[in-house]
Amino acid sequence: MTEHALEAAKFIDLTWMNVSFLFIVGFIGGLVSGFIGSGGAFVLTPGMMSLGVPAAVAVASNMCHKFPKAMVGAYKRFRYGQVDLKLGIVMAASATVGVQIGIKIQEWILGKWGEAGSNLYVSLSFVFVLITVGSYVFYDAWKSAKVTDADPVPKLARRLQSINLPPMIHFKTANLTISLWFTIPVGLLTGLLAATIAVGGFVGVPGMIYVIGASGLISSASELVIAFLMGLGGTVKWAMAGMVDIRLTLIILAGSLLGVQLGAIGTTYVKENMIKIVMGSIMIIVAFSRALAVPQYLAQLDLISANQSALSFMNMVSFALMCLALAIGAVIILGSMIKAKRAEIVNRQVSETCENV
Amino acid sequence: MSVTTEINKPKAILRTVMYGAVSAAMLVAVFSHTDAITSLFSLGGIYAALPIATVFAFSFAHGAFASNLWSALGIEATTKKTAPRPAESVPRPAQRPRARLRMSA
Repeated sequence: MTEHALEAAKFIDLTWMNVSFLFIVGFIGGLVSGFIGSGGAFVLTPGMMSLGVPAAVAVASNMCHKFPKAMVGAYKRFRYGQVDLKLGIVMAASATVGVQIGIKIQEWILGKWGEAGSNLYVSLSFVFVLITVGSYVFYDAWKSAKVTDADPVPKLARRLQSINLPPMIHFKTANLTISLWFTIPVGLLTGLLAATIAVGGFVGVPGMIYVIGASGLISSASELVIAFLMGLGGTVKWAMAGMVDIRLTLIILAGSLLGVQLGAIGTTYVKENMIKIVMGSIMIIVAFSRALAVPQYLAQLDLISANQSALSFMNMVSFALMCLALAIGAVIILGSMIKAKRAEIVNRQVSETCENV
Repeated sequence: MSVTTEINKPKAILRTVMYGAVSAAMLVAVFSHTDAITSLFSLGGIYAALPIATVFAFSFAHGAFASNLWSALGIEATTKKTAPRPAESVPRPAQRPRARLRMSA
């Protein structure tokens, strides 16, 4: 296996085009991760595979860039007082168990229906989870923007926080007390999703907001702690199998460390519900992208018959939509940062004029 | 409402150049010995420590470079006063208090 990975890594020809593509996607992925706590991985793995990198090396190299990126992002946002370290560690502990459950489910599906069955399961999970959770996140962001500027505590979270079921845990930065038993399912689902679609944050962040009751800002920042701990564990596993291509990892990391810090700075400029808007938008577009990949796997399982050229066209559109999701996220983040910065400059000029008068 | 954190621009520029040089040197070191490094780092087992240590070291240098670069460009975090989180709006009672008639003699 190690020899295979080595051969594959040597096989990849790194041209300037490839390097630029990985650097730019790394930067945009980092920007989105620094802002919403996750994202980028769903484009990087298929992106590397489209350059000819074998799937295992692509997953390993992506994971090896993910944990230091999350570490730098978490450190930056910790300095802004947005990270609840205890919440991140508690969630990561149960997410680790969730990952193991997710791997077992994947292995079972792979054994029963083969690779096409496994891909179909992953795509259907993508579509179901992202449409359901993404639509709700988007709706909530729209609703809370209309009602008030502040981020209200959701009803479900308030109800769960009022139930005294020992052991109760107090999360200081998030400023909430809740039973450990209510954090476990959120962590398990985060890990399960991370093992299935490689982006656990799409359940982790909404879970921390709507079930545990942390604010969007705290949840997205604490998600980076979860991503760091889980990413480090995953990297050790992949590196021990000799699957990490350090060249790919360093190129992506060079872009993503610039992006993740810009995304973290961005959270201090915008209103809290902007995190929900960006997350909801990305989730819905990615769900559509994965829905386009479903017919290909159904055809491979002989459940439908379809034209090969139509399938490859849908596959191409699916990948383009994923890139679009990331690009839209980046445009919303940068746009709202520029808008907030302009407003700040105008305010400063007005106050200076007032002082002079 | 928001106060921009003060930055020392010349210091940030100096640090950007310094950490940028370290980060570039690391990239040059890896890419000028690609074959040897790729073969060594993909041996697996105990050699797993090599890629992990490399990304930690690179994150430190490149992370510091990136942070100082944004500061040198004037892109810095603003410290906002976070508003207390309100509970979700409670519907108003349907009944209004009844008007009372007061007689003053």
